[in-house]
Amino acid sequence: MAKLPEGRWIDVDGLRTRYHEAGKGEPVVFLYGGNFGTGDSASSAYTWNNQIAPLSERCRAIVFDKAGQGETDNPKDDDYTMAAVVRHASAFLRAMKLEGVHLVGHSRGGYAATRVALENHDRVKSLTVVNSGTLSPGVGTNEVVLARPPYPAGTRECVRWVYQNYSFNPDVVTDEWVDAVMHTLSLPKYQESVRKMGAEKLGTKLFLPELAREKRETLQWINEGRLQRPVQVVWGFDDRTAVIDRGVELYNMFSRHERRALFHVINQSGHFPFREHPERFNALMRRWLESLA
Amino acid sequence: MKIFIHGGVPGVTPYASGPHIWGDQDGEKVTLAGGTVEAMTDSVRKVIKGKCHLVGHDLGGLIAFNLAIEAPQLVSGVTAVASVAVAPTGDGVPDVTFAHPPKPLFGRESQRWALERVSYSHHHIDDALLDACVAAAARRPVVSYADEFVPSLVKAKSRFYEVCRGEGVKVPCQVIWGSHDPLSTFDHGLWLFRGLAQKQRVSQFHVINRAGALPFREEPAAFRQVLESFADAL
Repeated sequence: MAKLPEGRWIDVDGLRTRYHEAGKGEPVVFLYGGNFGTGDSASSAYTWNNQIAPLSERCRAIVFDKAGQGETDNPKDDDYTMAAVVRHASAFLRAMKLEGVHLVGHSRGGYAATRVALENHDRVKSLTVVNSGTLSPGVGTNEVVLARPPYPAGTRECVRWVYQNYSFNPDVVTDEWVDAVMHTLSLPKYQESVRKMGAEKLGTKLFLPELAREKRETLQWINEGRLQRPVQVVWGFDDRTAVIDRGVELYNMFSRHERRALFHVINQSGHFPFREHPERFNALMRRWLESLA
Repeated sequence: MKIFIHGGVPGVTPYASGPHIWGDQDGEKVTLAGGTVEAMTDSVRKVIKGKCHLVGHDLGGLIAFNLAIEAPQLVSGVTAVASVAVAPTGDGVPDVTFAHPPKPLFGRESQRWALERVSYSHHHIDDALLDACVAAAARRPVVSYADEFVPSLVKAKSRFYEVCRGEGVKVPCQVIWGSHDPLSTFDHGLWLFRGLAQKQRVSQFHVINRAGALPFREEPAAFRQVLESFADAL
């Protein structure tokens, strides 16, 4: 397991934002999945730990904690929406003065990365979307696969169960991964987001309905050809929460308008191909960056 | 070391394939010989000097898998490109891509016509390619298509899927398809990948956009990118 570089802090539109970076050259910004306020799992910059240091030999690799996730402050004024996440991510690119950015987004981060690209053409050079059920059309099966974990929310057993059910090989869920999730879950500001999304019902009243509306708009924009940037779609073949057919459909939408559109499928991989097969994923990324240099 | 194996059945496939079809892809390019899949496989085996990555187009993909099954010690990996010869077909409908070719068959205009039919764009079809195809067509051997070749193809394909279901192909494999292959959809390629993926952990599937049945000619840089990234991680 590669270690993340020491974290740094930057103010992004009033949110204290944590990020990690390594290497020089063209910036590659990674967006992980999940969202604030989930009590049985919690993503953070650690999700991309097997990419930052290895790919830093080829580029300036950056991962930041999205609004309300990891160490970054929660959204202001109870704006627990994906739109706030996208605004924060776009503001992060501006605050870091990043241009010619290669965005790499996974799952909900794949949606956010795509939306950032659609709204910031002047700063984005390419887009990589990895197993994003949030972005792709079709039936989402998270609630089928991950319904009612058999352990209390917030426990190590629950966290391990959730990520093992996301994965093809359960052994990929290491103690270190679980530790990283437990750390995020233990943060008071994260617990506040759990309270907001759950007890105060912002998840069902605000986050999900707003995401559904914005997703419709985002898919319309993709279908209209508004992305205007090279794009690759990478999919773990055995993902039960975002099945391969959804990746195919998403790729077809992108490739209709963009010549430089590639689709890659990695075998024996669930929702996190870059964690289950980091060497294969990183090889694809290195050649992608090389082709666009 | 990469060995490129062309596809096409001499005297049958309307464009005359051969080593020239690979363009400037970097590696050894072999010429198939013989009238059956077994004989063609033997002809490639003879040129293998050490462990190599086999890259096969169409029928060449089946031959590469054959060698990986028979002699895995000689093969570091297999890349099958637009391998309609090995992809599942089921009860398909007749493909009309090559219907009503202009006469004379295997002449220069006939070659241009056939290459355009299998391509997304005609831009890769230049004089050098047409010259090479016409020359290859003139050298074509007689293949007993229905009596010898087709039965050998069916046999080899059945064996391939039996191995996929059983012990699995023992070397890393990837399948590359053109998004606009008129001879078979990329869903056919995905099903070929599904067969391989049953037992071979290191297997990948890739689609190259705006390419037909010759993605290495139409999008050579993207093809090289995918090919090399697979080899990088072997």
